[in-house]
Amino acid sequence: MESYKQTDDNELIKASINGDKLAFGEIVDRYRKLVARIVKGMLGDSVFSEDIGQEVFIKLYYSLPDFRGEAKLSTYIQKIAVNLTLNEIKRRKRFFSMFSQKGNSEMYEFEVADVDNQEKREATETVNRALMSLEPKFRIIVSMRMLQGYSTKETAEILGLPLGTILSRLSRAREQLKNVIEKL
Amino acid sequence: MKTEEVKKLMIRSLDAEVSPHEIADQLENAGVSYDFSEGFGDKVIRKIFSVSLSVNHEVEFVRSMNYVFNRIALTGIAAIVILMISIFLMEGSFSLNSILGLGNSYDESIICMLTGK
Repeated sequence: MESYKQTDDNELIKASINGDKLAFGEIVDRYRKLVARIVKGMLGDSVFSEDIGQEVFIKLYYSLPDFRGEAKLSTYIQKIAVNLTLNEIKRRKRFFSMFSQKGNSEMYEFEVADVDNQEKREATETVNRALMSLEPKFRIIVSMRMLQGYSTKETAEILGLPLGTILSRLSRAREQLKNVIEKL
Repeated sequence: MKTEEVKKLMIRSLDAEVSPHEIADQLENAGVSYDFSEGFGDKVIRKIFSVSLSVNHEVEFVRSMNYVFNRIALTGIAAIVILMISIFLMEGSFSLNSILGLGNSYDESIICMLTGK
């Protein structure tokens, strides 16, 4: 069986476009954690996040023929993940505003699955709770900086927003995060 | 890493002078990591390729229909051409009567043929 562990992204893309399951499987393996950080960082850790994660890769597969290679594959995947996650947040907002009186708190799930160590579990839960308490427009910026280590410039590129907007949101997010963390 | 330290790291992560990479690494070392469940990749592949398979079947069907249609259409055109040539050779023209197979018979002779009188 052919292994693609050492193959670069461009070769994997070409093979995937030709319908090579193993090549696309390698792309999924390479970028699943990246997508998980975005989706779970913004939606919480739940089965719904898994569904969105799957949707990200399905959308990626069908849009690979349009991928021109001008940006890195990771950036392209992140854009898809961010867009689908933001759409899901909007959908949930609409749903909960129609059917629930409880507000934002029940829109996101906090269970942290598959973490064996208690300390690690608490750490992830703390980060999740803090992130989920932020407004979505701040949450995406904080999660990209905090969990993925993106600079403000990189964040602006991925989100397609002006650098000034990112900087101002970051400063407001910092205030909001401080307040949230004090209450945790 | 204790919860309090994680909280401090989170606030520090938004400071302009701090390298975001460094904080992300520290949080990951503290156990703040995200991944999908086991079998995630298999589920994605199964979903994509089962859909592709049904799409392939549809494409195959349309292709077969096109092939059959082309064969029928070509045979039909050939039959029409042969028929026209034979009509022209037998009747010497393409009049409506010759196409309908009535030849130069008069209306009365047709009535005789039909009624037997």
